[in-house]
Amino acid sequence: MGSLVFNGQVVALNEEGFLVEPGLWNEDLARVLAREEEGLETLDEEHWAVIRFIRAHFEEKQGAPMVRAVCKGTGLRLQRIYDLFPSGPAKGACKLAGLPKPDGCV
Amino acid sequence: MSAELDQKLEALTDETLAKGLAVFREHLKEAEAGFLNACVRCGLCADSCHYHRAEPRLENVPGRKLDHIASVFRAHYTTFGRVAPGLVGAKRFDRDMARAWVDAVFGRCSLCGRCSLNCTIGIPMPALFRAARRALGAMGLVPDDLQANVENSLRHGNNMAIEREEWVETLEWIEEELQAETGDPQARIPVDKQGARCLFTVNPREAKFFPLSLQASAKVFWAAKEDWTLASEAGWDLTNYALFTCEDDQAAAIVKNLTDAMTRLGCEVLVIGECGHGYQSARWMGPEWLKSAFPFPVVSILELMDQYLDEGRIQVDPTKNTQPVTLHDPCNLVRHGGISEPQRRVLRRAVNTFTEMAPRGIENYCCGGGGGQLAMSEYRNRRLKAGRMKADQIRATGAKVVAAPCHNCIDQLSELNKEYQLKVHIKTVAELVAAALVPPTSTPSSTPTFAEAQP
Repeated sequence: MGSLVFNGQVVALNEEGFLVEPGLWNEDLARVLAREEEGLETLDEEHWAVIRFIRAHFEEKQGAPMVRAVCKGTGLRLQRIYDLFPSGPAKGACKLAGLPKPDGCV
Repeated sequence: MSAELDQKLEALTDETLAKGLAVFREHLKEAEAGFLNACVRCGLCADSCHYHRAEPRLENVPGRKLDHIASVFRAHYTTFGRVAPGLVGAKRFDRDMARAWVDAVFGRCSLCGRCSLNCTIGIPMPALFRAARRALGAMGLVPDDLQANVENSLRHGNNMAIEREEWVETLEWIEEELQAETGDPQARIPVDKQGARCLFTVNPREAKFFPLSLQASAKVFWAAKEDWTLASEAGWDLTNYALFTCEDDQAAAIVKNLTDAMTRLGCEVLVIGECGHGYQSARWMGPEWLKSAFPFPVVSILELMDQYLDEGRIQVDPTKNTQPVTLHDPCNLVRHGGISEPQRRVLRRAVNTFTEMAPRGIENYCCGGGGGQLAMSEYRNRRLKAGRMKADQIRATGAKVVAAPCHNCIDQLSELNKEYQLKVHIKTVAELVAAALVPPTSTPSSTPTFAEAQP
């Protein structure tokens, strides 16, 4: 088990850096995850568009969206998503949006 | 080990232990049981195992992992083991032993089989470890996130629980992208095409997060003028995580999605996309699980691409792939699956510089992500550590691109790329072929048959 310190509190992460309690997520925590887990010092508007879209989808349907839905919902091209999140949509974007690790070969 | 698994181990009852043991014995084939007493402690397996090479300690020696299993067999099923356990190294199956099994067969093994290949006696380690995994499964001790993939496949027909509309919409989107890329409005991704020659299957990961590899495969089919299709309902996902949980009845139910789709759509050839365990499951284990031979051939897309190039159905320009390329050998595809040369012939034609890893082919090292390791978060640190052999191999080639015909390996290699700062690109073979394709001319791909030529 991993962890990170956020606002003086210890937040539990699983071995792969995903939040153990997705309910703890907020945008300030996303910034810390971005820095600690993804090596992103700053998040720009495009990052936020992706993160907020994924988070909203998760809160509504309890899962990660298809990358098709992310492109459609944010208006970003597929390649742009990969450029924005070096670890990809699953281990990068979904992680920063506070989702549990998606199932499958990811 | 996860906290959940630890709790389950603590709560094990004698009845559950007895059940696990019975399942182990029941599913151990006689030909395999004979090997449980065959280890001569030569130690060759230690050097062959990527876990042990990366971290040389007793618990990582394959023979030691096997010994946990063999000692239980001796205690319960051999005369000497029953009357003089201390003399023959026999140990009863109790809670501590169950814990040792979980640690050995889930936590320190990717079922890659390299130890078996290098074993003096030829002990079929993966088969014996699989029998232990199956017993642990009967005791409810399969790590949750590994089992979740199986449950998704059983319930939703694919291991990521993708809904039909999401899948079909993604295909329509990729078809548009393909048409834009090729400039051909007739470039298609046919869905549910009745009577198509080839039924193509993919890894749900492609649909969900990484559709460029799917687009690349479709581009190759387009250039080859192949008659192909994908199923909209269950039967498009080539994965079968029950190969790793070793619950054969569930594995049979999952592989049946593929055979049912072949029947439903009336296709001639089942084509498995670039995936190690998917190929192993459909080509070799599938008929075993379903207890009947398939009435159709199962081929890897690597074999098809090799054939297209050989027959001149597609043309490639290797100068489109100028960066040096090396090739990873997925264990389930190469060591277990027997597909080794097609991808090499394809790469020699499609890229400028192709450099082999050492060792290569069936002796190549596991990336560390096999056997369901990638799905078991609790063993992530061990998995990355065990991947050091692969990272060293890649670095030694000097390649800038690693071709990996398996999506599971691709994900592990991507993590190794980051962890060991390899600075390489990781691609499927189809992506490299698609990049090098010489656009086909619009003339028919074959001369008319005699019957068609008649007025």
